[in-house]
Amino acid sequence: MSEITLDVWLYGPLARYGGNAQEKVFANLHPCLPAGTTVRDLLNHLGLPAEERGITFINGDLSAMPGMQPDLDHELRDGDRIALFHLRSMWPFQYRHGAAAIPEMAEALQQSRDMGLHHAYDPGKAPDGEGTI
Amino acid sequence: MWFVRIDMTNRSAAVSEAPAKYKYLAGRAMTSTLVADEVPPLCHPLGPSNKLVFAGGITTGTPAPTSARISVGAKSPLTGGIKEANAGSSWAADLAVMQIQALVVEGQPAEKGKYWGAYITYDGKPKVEFFDATEYTGKVLPEVFPKIYEKFGDKISICSIGTAGEFGYGNSGVVFNDLAKRPTRYSGRGGLGAVMGSKGLKFLVLNRENAPGVHIEDKALFDEGRKKMIDALRTHAITKPKGALNSYGTAVLINIMNEAGGLPTRNFSSGRFEGAPKIAGEAIFETNKERLGKELYNHACSPGCIIQCSNTYHKVDGSEHTSCIEYESDWSLGANCGIDNLDHVAELNALCNAYGLDTIETGVTIGVAMEAGVIPFGDGEAAIKLVHEIGKGTPQGRILGAGTETAGKVYGVKRVPTVKGQAMPAYEPRAVKGIGITYATSTMGADHTAGYTIAPEILGVMGKQDPLSNEGKAALSRAFQATTAFIDSCGHCLFIAFAILDIASGYQGMIDECNGVLGTKWTADDILKYGAEVLKKERAFNEAAGIPKEADRMPEFMLKEPLPPHNQVFDIPESALDSVYGEL
Repeated sequence: MSEITLDVWLYGPLARYGGNAQEKVFANLHPCLPAGTTVRDLLNHLGLPAEERGITFINGDLSAMPGMQPDLDHELRDGDRIALFHLRSMWPFQYRHGAAAIPEMAEALQQSRDMGLHHAYDPGKAPDGEGTI
Repeated sequence: MWFVRIDMTNRSAAVSEAPAKYKYLAGRAMTSTLVADEVPPLCHPLGPSNKLVFAGGITTGTPAPTSARISVGAKSPLTGGIKEANAGSSWAADLAVMQIQALVVEGQPAEKGKYWGAYITYDGKPKVEFFDATEYTGKVLPEVFPKIYEKFGDKISICSIGTAGEFGYGNSGVVFNDLAKRPTRYSGRGGLGAVMGSKGLKFLVLNRENAPGVHIEDKALFDEGRKKMIDALRTHAITKPKGALNSYGTAVLINIMNEAGGLPTRNFSSGRFEGAPKIAGEAIFETNKERLGKELYNHACSPGCIIQCSNTYHKVDGSEHTSCIEYESDWSLGANCGIDNLDHVAELNALCNAYGLDTIETGVTIGVAMEAGVIPFGDGEAAIKLVHEIGKGTPQGRILGAGTETAGKVYGVKRVPTVKGQAMPAYEPRAVKGIGITYATSTMGADHTAGYTIAPEILGVMGKQDPLSNEGKAALSRAFQATTAFIDSCGHCLFIAFAILDIASGYQGMIDECNGVLGTKWTADDILKYGAEVLKKERAFNEAAGIPKEADRMPEFMLKEPLPPHNQVFDIPESALDSVYGEL
């Protein structure tokens, strides 16, 4: 297959990257992109700077959090559902503990301080300035 | 500190010095200890032996941020076990500044159909007067509250019940005023409104005039702690001004849980709802902006809150429809019923507040009724009619008002999402298994607020276990539940947990504040022990009430029916569930 079609959901302020600059609730688009497209390629295609998105899901599996983006080189497949959230969204730890994640994210969480037991990962700074997670 | 006991058998009140043995107890620790010490575990929850206990937290009534929480406790008519439900309200701060450590409502009048109010003032010590409140019954709360303000003046705070509590429903909350004097802040879960109603008590009105305020033992330490707490709350992405909670409210979680495949939909038959984006926090924010012509950020539910997550939702003409559409309410009355019309969700929410119902129990009960074919999934108007039936006490309304489990039995439904008789909140345990362990094992029945944060530095309590293993999840749930029992006792809103888990100085701030107020020298370890003691008392009460460890289980359908889109069942072994309290 030379092209793949994706099911992309953009929430809140990110909805403006879906084609209608006025949209701020959500946008759902279905771009056709070359086979081998990665998350990074998709963000470039949308014109969406990686640091503007926070929590991200691929087919319901957590793939990124603010300040933790191990999914940029993740290769997308035909029909994948990708959901991108703005930085004012949240998913507290106790409500995601045991939820599904893509392998890259699961590994990144496992290797982080306290094995991912945080509510937020602010870009560029870790809680209490103890170094980047 | 005072103990105020109101005996509704003969409408008498006794004010006495608080017993020394309860010196450090506040909030949930106070209510659960009194219930455990004084309520016979086998008593009928709506009978004369049950007691309804009110207590503010350790820091309630002080300038500590986000600390105006009130705990309400009793034996629950919904679960048959111990119950603590807390809310944010000026009522909490007023009780605390009157130095009332516990307000206990006991006994029962012989005469049926008459209701009373208690008006509590301060004149050297708390003083209680009674007034006939029968004329305020059978009405919706937004009609009644202004009349009480008219009667006693603007400076008061009000605790009350709606018709749900008058009818004795398992689904009935105790309501407190918010800062705009609306009846919107609920100790909603577990049917505590019915306990209050069973005692013929319609109002507890507080007037804080001449109250001495909260005594702070070590002011310097308290101030230091308070500053750390404020810094943490103002810095953290979730709790800071114009952050997640202040902008979108708790309903910001709707789209997240939907994408995670963990938003229970149409009575827990799917983890994803196609209408979710239309009812999410982002949609509430933008609908308000469109209808008001400006951005509307959220407000504080109680004095001194700097998180300010409480929203209002506005009608097409810009007038206020309801406050507050929380994530749980938005989900239970929306996605769980297949309803994607935000105006319908808002109306259902407004009706729950008007009749004195718990929104979670209401939405989950309607979901079960929809599954039984009483009304179709997605029919918002029919759901609105059903809530009116509940509020007006029609025969069908009374069945639904008894709660999800009873409705499931009456209608012969096997997919009934409850634990210990209490409806499950908005995180599908088949998709988020960690919270499922807490639902299964909490002393409160299925409860999303039972297992919050622990500080990273005391993670040592779980040893070297992998947090993703079943044993690790169980150990974390145990530590979460103990810390939560402490936060529920310290007076702060549970939402400080977001900031203090990630910012260690904030966690220390909470401990400093408490040590400052009480003159104690607690460490992080002591906090965990304090919480664990509360859990042990609650657990012992439940066991004596006939709720064994075998009740720490998920409903069978969750073990057997895979949940789309992840197609997972709840597969945490019973041994792991048993270890949560087995190793406490």
